[in-house]
Amino acid sequence: MNQSKKTIDFGFSEVPLEEKVKRVKGVFDSVAGKYDVMNDVMSLGIHRLWKRHTIELSGVRPGQTVLDLAGGTGDLTKAFAKRVGKSGRVVLADINESMVRVGRDRLINEGIAGNVEYTITNAEALAFPDNTFDLATIAFGLRNVTNKDKALAELYRVLKPGGQLMVLEFSKVTQPLLAKAYDFYSFNILPKMGKLIADDEASYQYLAESIRMHPDQDTLKQMMLDAGFDKADYLNMNEGIVALHRGWKY
Amino acid sequence: MPHTTPQTPGLFSLSLSKTVEFALNQALRLDEAQGAAFKDFEDKTFAVTFTDLGLTLYLFFTSYGVNVQNALQGEADARIETDLPSLLGLRETGRLSRVTLHGDVPLAEALIDALTSIEIDWEEHLSHYTGDLIAFKVGHATRSAMAATQAAKRQAGETLKEYLQFELEVLPTASQLQRFGDSVQRTQAAVDAIETRVQALLDRL
Repeated sequence: MNQSKKTIDFGFSEVPLEEKVKRVKGVFDSVAGKYDVMNDVMSLGIHRLWKRHTIELSGVRPGQTVLDLAGGTGDLTKAFAKRVGKSGRVVLADINESMVRVGRDRLINEGIAGNVEYTITNAEALAFPDNTFDLATIAFGLRNVTNKDKALAELYRVLKPGGQLMVLEFSKVTQPLLAKAYDFYSFNILPKMGKLIADDEASYQYLAESIRMHPDQDTLKQMMLDAGFDKADYLNMNEGIVALHRGWKY
Repeated sequence: MPHTTPQTPGLFSLSLSKTVEFALNQALRLDEAQGAAFKDFEDKTFAVTFTDLGLTLYLFFTSYGVNVQNALQGEADARIETDLPSLLGLRETGRLSRVTLHGDVPLAEALIDALTSIEIDWEEHLSHYTGDLIAFKVGHATRSAMAATQAAKRQAGETLKEYLQFELEVLPTASQLQRFGDSVQRTQAAVDAIETRVQALLDRL
């Protein structure tokens, strides 16, 4: 089949493969300036707890090299930079220039500098040599990647042997009653909040739809194993609203 | 590199690690000597185990300050085992009353000295969590009690079984039951064979 005729989900819509990158870029260009505020409002601040959980579970230590892929406005990068110290290095990588700019300005203003690098890169073709990182994270980013299998294989490639990948992402709610309430919130309240705060209902409608189209916990775990990871597991947070997948390269 | 704590930290330990991190960083910022006592610890890692809570926090120091978390890749340079009352009393007594050191012991001793030299009112910081601490302890005690009850029930069951089987001999053991079952099957097979032979003889008559 001709590459240009292939389609992929963009929320609940099907779009040509090459169109998804542009559309996702559009969404994040649109929300970049208010991304942090919206995250706080949308999750009632719980996203900070999910991220803290991820950081703590990473077991990162001074001197290590960390890739924060789809690092956006730099929440994880900031925490990792403090932990790896001056003898370590954190790379904030994102496909979206607007998000990287917001993240870089924010971290510099907060005094995080010297051990952080910023790069605009496509998750499906990482511009790093093999076996570079002790730890790689992608938080709330994988569902926006067009070819997830390719991105996971790339993440495996750039990890050092013994390295760990952590994927923090919205997932499938395991509690039926909560799932209903969550659906109502996602499709009725979330877009309206997006309009109210960021004046951008469509982008937040996409965010809600993209969460539903993302592979569930077991599927993503299998995708990680298929991408080459020697071991993978996952941890549900808040009944599966978010799941933290971990993969190890031995 | 394997994690030294593969288990998942709960909300309580997440919250506690954040509180300890905040308390230490705040004390270092307010320290008259600007944290000079800690300058030799840059990039060193410490495991502090609270034996009464069954909880280990990992501390390490970078140029950005102190970091505290629930897991650490690889081994810590030094391990300190103590309990919460000892930490709470550190300010008054100037030492950890109950402590065991492992790994780089001089490094661990130096950290305790440094912690003693800065003004941290642990009781005040942790008082926000007193309810949680009690709840955690109660929960922990309840879980332990439930586990102990289960173990006691299992033990009592085993004892009763052994008494009935071997002392009073009113209950068969599993192997005796197995042998009995096997014998019944063999007898059944023999009866079937005899029945077939008898039938064959009757057919000849």
